[in-house]
Amino acid sequence: MIVFKNVHKWFGKLHVLNDINLHVRSGEVVVICGPSGSGKSTLIRCINRLEKFQQGELYVDGQALHDHSINLTKLRADIGFVFQQFHLYPHMTALQNVTLAPVNVRKIDKKEAVALGREKLARVGLADKAEAYPAQLSGGQQQRVAIARGLAMNPKIMLFDEPTSALDPEMIGEVLDVMVQLAGEGMTMCVVTHEMGFARQVAHRVIFMDAGQLVEKGAPDEFFDHPKTDRAAQFISKILTH
Amino acid sequence: MAFYASRIIQILPYFLKGLLMTIEVSGISLILSTVLGFVLGILRTADSKLITRSIGVYVDVMRGTPFVVQVFIVFFILPSWGLQLEPLPAAILALTAMTAAFICEVVSGGIKAVPKGQWEAAAASGLTRMQQLRLVILPQSMQTILPPLVGQYVLMIKDSSVVSVIGVTELTRVGWQTVVRIPEGLMVFTLVGILYFVICYPLIRLSNYLEHRLSLQTVKL
Amino acid sequence: MLINFNFRVIWEYMPLFLEGLRNTFLISIVSLILALMVGILACAARLSRWKLLRAVSIVYIESIRSTPLLVQIYFFYFGLPTLGLRVPELETGIIALMLNSGAYIAEIVRAGITSVPNGQIEAGISSGLSYTQRMRFIVLPQALGVTVPPLLGQAIVLVKDSALLSLISVLELTRCGQELTSERFMPAEGFLTVAVLYLCIYYCLKPLAGWSQKKLIFREEY
Repeated sequence: MIVFKNVHKWFGKLHVLNDINLHVRSGEVVVICGPSGSGKSTLIRCINRLEKFQQGELYVDGQALHDHSINLTKLRADIGFVFQQFHLYPHMTALQNVTLAPVNVRKIDKKEAVALGREKLARVGLADKAEAYPAQLSGGQQQRVAIARGLAMNPKIMLFDEPTSALDPEMIGEVLDVMVQLAGEGMTMCVVTHEMGFARQVAHRVIFMDAGQLVEKGAPDEFFDHPKTDRAAQFISKILTH
Repeated sequence: MAFYASRIIQILPYFLKGLLMTIEVSGISLILSTVLGFVLGILRTADSKLITRSIGVYVDVMRGTPFVVQVFIVFFILPSWGLQLEPLPAAILALTAMTAAFICEVVSGGIKAVPKGQWEAAAASGLTRMQQLRLVILPQSMQTILPPLVGQYVLMIKDSSVVSVIGVTELTRVGWQTVVRIPEGLMVFTLVGILYFVICYPLIRLSNYLEHRLSLQTVKL
Repeated sequence: MLINFNFRVIWEYMPLFLEGLRNTFLISIVSLILALMVGILACAARLSRWKLLRAVSIVYIESIRSTPLLVQIYFFYFGLPTLGLRVPELETGIIALMLNSGAYIAEIVRAGITSVPNGQIEAGISSGLSYTQRMRFIVLPQALGVTVPPLLGQAIVLVKDSALLSLISVLELTRCGQELTSERFMPAEGFLTVAVLYLCIYYCLKPLAGWSQKKLIFREEY
């Protein structure tokens, strides 16, 4: 589904992605972790080309992203993306947030879109908040609307960029529950997160990044209990004591 | 003085005609400059350096020179380059060219004030660049654009007094023509001032109200 | 279009242009200093405890802001003689510019003072500072930072506004363009030179305004 081949990216002189090789299969749930600034957000932002990269090959659902002539909007329509800061549209209700892209990108009928939107909101447990504006929702609710917004396009892949990092502790659970449910339904997911519980429960693989390099990959239990590299061991001990 | 006062009431219709002309000149320029200003303001936020720099130079020239000089250039110099304009079109051209530059800055400022994450979220859903702008970015920036935009309209209406120098018979020119015949400068230009006040003051209040509403909203968010 | 542009005439008239530039400069500086005084006084009146003072200040500020500068200039130019006052054109123009900019400066200063967050004042009260101490050490230094960039903006506006004095025959920069037009009928040479000289002033003041925006505005970090 997603194949990275020797991908490099620089921000000026900073080598943010250094020779990334990764293969994510359809239906797989991959958790990406690592210290801040390690390039993990950049990695998943490359998958829907919010970031460009300078060298290497990246295939998503059969399309070559290093080829600059591909249809970006079509690619992005098939990939859901959930941001750390939610980025809900503040001038629209929850329902309008969810239906905007189906109506304007998929060109489906307004009525149909509303039905679809309500269904997706119900799925994240917010059927009663359809008419609420983002400012009237809690952080956890906003993030669940953002997930519903991604799901409304019936995506083949869902990407999550630290979806719980901006939330108060008591709201993290409600968002993770939705994500666990989604993983159970066989969605292909790439999740940047430090939530070890979530990783152990649903991830097929954990990937550890540091300083732009993909340092270690493995099954979650193996990675957390017996990390192979010092850098990963150090990182795990830090998030455990945290 | 009482004698002059009654004469002025006699010629009040001329003042009202002048006021209508002021409204006509400003109204047409307002529509044209809003359209042009929005187009330039949107282009100003484009990726192309060539486009943004050229618009930047245009804006600087319009902001860096007095409007009266711009009016003289349009009226006296364009003819020697083959564009002969009657006073009224010349006035509208000058007002539009200047106001569009100011509106361009207001619009691009409003667009830039929308957080980058909004562009990214819209792009991630597969919206095209135009759709991102139309559906997500512009509706949000309108709140920040509106108060200074109304402010620009007020400035433009006031600046329209300057086109009296090329012979457009708007309010200020009527005042000037009157004062030559009735030497009651204070009274004549108080009247002219009151007529401008009647249009501009409500607009200033509107701009303040929009700004106040905006600040309330930001506090709530 | 620049093919038959007559640079010799511009050179010939250069002393006139330079005199005009100097006069524009002097008129702007003098008007700005006077307008600062008027503006601060008007702002003090606007924030005063006495209702009458507040009312006078509001009427002054709003009537200036709602009417064109050109009308204000004509008001004094044609109006002062009606009162039996013979004031030369230059002084008339400076009075108009001073009162016009003064109203805008009053609003700038007021916005600066009211922009200081209440928490800052409360912090000052908590540390036991007196009203004057709070004003001196807390409110004014922060207000000043916020005030300088728009004041420089107002200075740019003032330079451009002074061009209108050419219409009551004050010999400043724009008037030079008019002289060239009436004496030699060379409006292109006249007004384009004038425009370029104004742009020079603008490009001197603009970076200053930008710099002050970056350097002088302190904000509490949240």
